[in-house]
Amino acid sequence: MRQGLFLILSLIALTSALDTINQLFLKSAINSVEPPHSANIIKIIGFIFRLICKPRVWLSGIFALMSLSVWLLVLSKADLNFAFSADSMHYLFIAFASSIFLKEKVGMKRWLGTISIVIGIVLVSLT
Amino acid sequence: MKTKRLTLKILFLLIFSDVLETAVHLCFKRSVIPLNSTQINDFQSGFIFLYQAASSPYLWLGLIVAATIFIIWSSVLSKIDLSVAVPIASSSYIFVPIASIIFLHEKVSFLRWVGILFIIAGVIFVSLSSKDGERELAK
Repeated sequence: MRQGLFLILSLIALTSALDTINQLFLKSAINSVEPPHSANIIKIIGFIFRLICKPRVWLSGIFALMSLSVWLLVLSKADLNFAFSADSMHYLFIAFASSIFLKEKVGMKRWLGTISIVIGIVLVSLT
Repeated sequence: MKTKRLTLKILFLLIFSDVLETAVHLCFKRSVIPLNSTQINDFQSGFIFLYQAASSPYLWLGLIVAATIFIIWSSVLSKIDLSVAVPIASSSYIFVPIASIIFLHEKVSFLRWVGILFIIAGVIFVSLSSKDGERELAK
C-alpha cells in the first residue's frame, strides 16, 4: 500500500512537472511574439498565427500530451479526490519555474497567495 | 518585458476558459460513452477505438472548443505573468462547489468552506501582487 502511494505521488509529480514545462515553453514563445495591442479579432488571429510558427509552441504541445497521458494513468490508479489534492503541487512548481526560468518577480504576496490556494485545494478536494 | 496588471477583462477571460475546459471534458466523455473500451488490448483495437471516437460529432466539438481555449489562454498570457495566470485559473475550484450550493442545494462541510476561503484569499493575494509589479515598473 505504502509503495503504491509512493508510485502514485511520483506519477502526479511527473504530470505536474510535464505540465509546468508545457506552460514554460508556451509562455516563453508568447514573450518572444509581439502581443496584440487591441482586442480586435484580426489582430488576435494574426498573433496566434505568428505564435504557432514558433517551434517552442509545438514543444509545449508535446509536453502537454505527455502530461495528459500520465494524468490519465494516475486517474486509472488513484481516487479522484486524492489525485486532485496532490495535483495542487502544480501551483508551487509554476511559481518556482516562472521565477527561475522566466525571471518573473514572485514576491511575498504572490507566494502567500499561491500557498494559500494550495492549502485551499487540498481542503476542498480531500474533505 | 512589460507586464500589465490583472484587469477585470482578463479575469473574465480566465474564468470563461475554465468553463470551456469543463465543456471539453464533457464533450470528450460524451464521444466515448457509446464505445466499448474493454477490448482495447493491442494497437489495432486502439486505432479502431480512436476511429470510432472520431466519427462522433462530440469529439470534434470538443477539439474546436479546445482550440478556442488555446487562443484565449495565449492572449491572456501575452498580457500577464505566468505565475499570476495559473493561480488565478484555480478559481474554477470554487465555482463548482459554489454552483452546487446555489443550484443543487448541496450541503458543504465546514472544512470545505475553509478551503474555499483559502482559495479566495489566495486569488486576491496573487491579483494584488500583479498590481505591485506594475507599480515597480512605473517607478
